Amino acid sequence: MRRIHLNNIEIVKKINRDFLKSEDYFQSLLEEGFRVNLLTTNEVESIQTDCLLLLARQTEKYNGSESSSIKIEAASQLLSSILFTLGVYLKTYENPDLAIEDIKKEGIFNIYTKGLKQIDKLKITSKLLHKSILRKLVKTDNVFYKSTIEDGINGFFKLYYPEFGAHEIHITADYPVHQKMEPLKGIEFINKYLEWIYYENLFCSFFSSEDIHNLLSGYDKNYSDIPFNIYERVLLSALGCELVGKDYRHLEIDDSSLEKLFTIFNKKSKIQIQDILKSGLEGLKVDLNLNESLIKYLNNSLNQLAVLIENSIINNTLDRVFVVPRYYDNSNKLIVSFGIKMEDEKYRKIIDEIRQCRHFSDKKNIIKLEIKSLGDLEDVLIDADLTEDEILRILDELNLGEVAALAKRNSITSIDYEPSSRSGNNILAEALYTYKAILSTQELEKFTKLIEVIVIG
Amino acid sequence: MNFELSLLNSNLLLKQAVSEVLSCNDITEKYNLLLTNTQAAALVETRVTALKDNGRMEFGAGVIEKIILAFCDSPYISMLNYEETIHELLEIFYYYKNETNDLMSDDELIKFMKISYDSICQGSLELLSGRELNNLARTLRYAYKEKFTEDKTDLDEEDSLE
Repeated sequence: MRRIHLNNIEIVKKINRDFLKSEDYFQSLLEEGFRVNLLTTNEVESIQTDCLLLLARQTEKYNGSESSSIKIEAASQLLSSILFTLGVYLKTYENPDLAIEDIKKEGIFNIYTKGLKQIDKLKITSKLLHKSILRKLVKTDNVFYKSTIEDGINGFFKLYYPEFGAHEIHITADYPVHQKMEPLKGIEFINKYLEWIYYENLFCSFFSSEDIHNLLSGYDKNYSDIPFNIYERVLLSALGCELVGKDYRHLEIDDSSLEKLFTIFNKKSKIQIQDILKSGLEGLKVDLNLNESLIKYLNNSLNQLAVLIENSIINNTLDRVFVVPRYYDNSNKLIVSFGIKMEDEKYRKIIDEIRQCRHFSDKKNIIKLEIKSLGDLEDVLIDADLTEDEILRILDELNLGEVAALAKRNSITSIDYEPSSRSGNNILAEALYTYKAILSTQELEKFTKLIEVIVIG
Repeated sequence: MNFELSLLNSNLLLKQAVSEVLSCNDITEKYNLLLTNTQAAALVETRVTALKDNGRMEFGAGVIEKIILAFCDSPYISMLNYEETIHELLEIFYYYKNETNDLMSDDELIKFMKISYDSICQGSLELLSGRELNNLARTLRYAYKEKFTEDKTDLDEEDSLE
């Protein structure tokens, strides 16, 4: 039992919110409610029955009154969606005891409706956050960064349908955020992911894209093909410069800085390293005039950085943590734009239409008629349940440059590229790999050259 | 906390389904087809098993009522084979609901079953399941339309020769 002091009024909470699971909130709330006697056996049974009645209603909607039965997998998905939606609303109660009271008072059906409204709010907030992130994207060649934050999240908003799949994420967030995320589902996951990305981008925006590019090139020449967190590299470098008294704005750690950093961190415990990093952050805070929420995010990152540094001192790999930038020639680049993507509603209709086509010629005609940008084409090739053979036939209709741009975005870049090194189960990546494999030597040479010079604009 | 879908097979829901099946007697009576309470319960039991075997679930009385009302005027159904036929039709229905990838509505699938059963299958459930519905499912899934038509023409010719 916990006591909370609130302006001299003492509120006694029976349910400890720390015991509730963030991903299965509703179920754990009922469990805890039952454990602490806020719910009786009869009340729990009545809630379960209401949930199943709600499932019956949702199944009817899902089947469009055409079918009275449903596959168990589909019903199970609908039930997960319902339970998630209930949890989203009930999480809005700071005090879980009050959430239990509300279930009893309002009933499951009303809570579900409120849950859907809450999801809509979260969706709108996330879309706004996403828009503001897109305005301040780090200009980098890293394919995972752009493909996740721009295309992946756009894909999520296109496919997300809270009525029947509120708990679904649809995409794989290949680009990792720096801090470990609590286990979340659906729009809650996307919202939290975007929030983290927002802070990370905000910090990176204090540095020029060229300096970041040079820093990351020092991390790995082919950094564009590696899924790693950019913010972590930038923050480490900035803190390193600050600690050795160099100008951090250009993220220019050099060999002498590395020696100094080794002296600073050598034989220090994790806590001591964290304190040193904190002092470095103080300098950045004042100089960059950082806002409170960003400072909080940066402070929360220090623990993880301290672990990295502690291990690198033991393994004598400090130069892999504090990276010395490398400078490569950036000339002769070909900028390819993936264009403006269509409205989500229209896109969904086109995907449904293509999926219903039996013949490839019909699918191709729809794509030719409706798809106007390379960005939309890429999405369609991934989302429309096309076979690898069908994708290959569509790729044949494009010019080599367009396919090279698609390959660049899907990590089919290096010559010694192996299928096992690809990310996720991307059918487009499979097809692009096959496409590349069947090119003639002359075409392959041209294709590889194109991939090298292409920059996705 | 138990949120298993098996909760749906509670006694209360099953009893409700039995009474809905029995209510069909009012209509089937004129075809001299009647189900007893035990027979109706057995049909509901078959539905539960068929749903489970085919990885499906259903709310309410489901399709038993629809199948009974669609097939009660068939010339190939009498009191002698009524219950047994409905049992088999139920199993066939849920099996082909999956095999057709839910592309057909309940009413469309039942209508196809009834027309085939009364015409080309001449009351044979084996032909209905093993040939007609199988071809239909393949047609829907793989667009074997031409082959389906060819097979059907061949069978029609065989029938006419007989």
